[in-house]
Amino acid sequence: MSLRIAALVEETRDGNRLSFHELVNMFQEDIYRLAYYRTYSQMDAEDLTQEIFEQAFRKVDSLHDPQKFRAWLYSIAVNRCNDFLRKRKYLALLQMRTAQEQEFMDKENSMGNEYSDRIEKKRFWDKVKLMLGKLSAMEREVFTLRFMDHRDIKEIADILDKNESTIKTHLYRALNKIRGHSEFFEEFRGAVS
Amino acid sequence: MKAEKSFHLQEEQIISATIDEKELSGEYQQHLLVCPDCKHKVVRLKDELHWFGQKAKEAVPPFSSAVRLPVPKPAAATPKNGWLPFAGAAAMAGLAVFFYFMGPATLDPGKLTIQQSQVYMLEDESLMREISEMVEYPMFEDMYEITGENIMGFDEDFMQFVVPEAQEDFQSEYILQGGLRVC
Repeated sequence: MSLRIAALVEETRDGNRLSFHELVNMFQEDIYRLAYYRTYSQMDAEDLTQEIFEQAFRKVDSLHDPQKFRAWLYSIAVNRCNDFLRKRKYLALLQMRTAQEQEFMDKENSMGNEYSDRIEKKRFWDKVKLMLGKLSAMEREVFTLRFMDHRDIKEIADILDKNESTIKTHLYRALNKIRGHSEFFEEFRGAVS
Repeated sequence: MKAEKSFHLQEEQIISATIDEKELSGEYQQHLLVCPDCKHKVVRLKDELHWFGQKAKEAVPPFSSAVRLPVPKPAAATPKNGWLPFAGAAAMAGLAVFFYFMGPATLDPGKLTIQQSQVYMLEDESLMREISEMVEYPMFEDMYEITGENIMGFDEDFMQFVVPEAQEDFQSEYILQGGLRVC
């Protein structure tokens, strides 16, 4: 798989846009989810996905090892999301963001048929926000990459440009804090046992 | 029995084992292999986290748009014509240097005077053209009232000065002298 990805990266560098489209098709769902896990907004996550791939396309020549395309793409995505969240925090201070969000939420809620499903999902994300809110920025990032984006320790180390033992330390601290939210994990325990 | 219980993994060790079993010391790794209780705890935590990840994935609304790549840039200059911009820039720099050192200072003063008189003639022509346009297309009476020019009362002498009669200008005189008067 990584050889195929590397070949597509090389073809993109030679000017083949179709190869990059193939890479987009491979990763767009993952990158979109990554953005959603950090913004909790479909509209923002879609915009960010677009921007992330644009940036990747423009800078693909700067990637040293084509076999590390996935980690490279994820690092662009994580940085882009963090930039976005910083800006959103600033805009929220100026009350510029909330109206747009409310408008979107109203539109979403008025769609009717899947209302209860949406309510359930909203409750889930509220709990996730509450739980992740207890973690430091780095613990949150590492936890999200490991258990929501399903990246392994080595890849997380590549994405965040840290060594593996640092990642494990942050992950340990994150899990230690999250275990305090035992009631949140009860519903998953039911699915497990 | 007491000794066996003391060997069970603590909560912190369960977490470490969930992250990476190799993080545990050899003794605890061995214990994990033989103790079904501790193994069950590790597996359960891993499964909870797995199910949490699955639930998160399901709770994400579907991706509804398509990623569009940026429009390709125009082709860069090929090696064949790549020298053109540099040659153009060099020529412009050369001309600038030439005029700086050799240009206006070395021009003949007589030529300068001719050029100046040509400029004045062009200005005169332009003014005359404006005046004749004013004669041909005077403003409406209402416009004069709006602008207040009627109140000022331009008399015949003033108008004669601004717009002289055709036979009094130098061209008509020239025509009269040549015996070719048509009007």
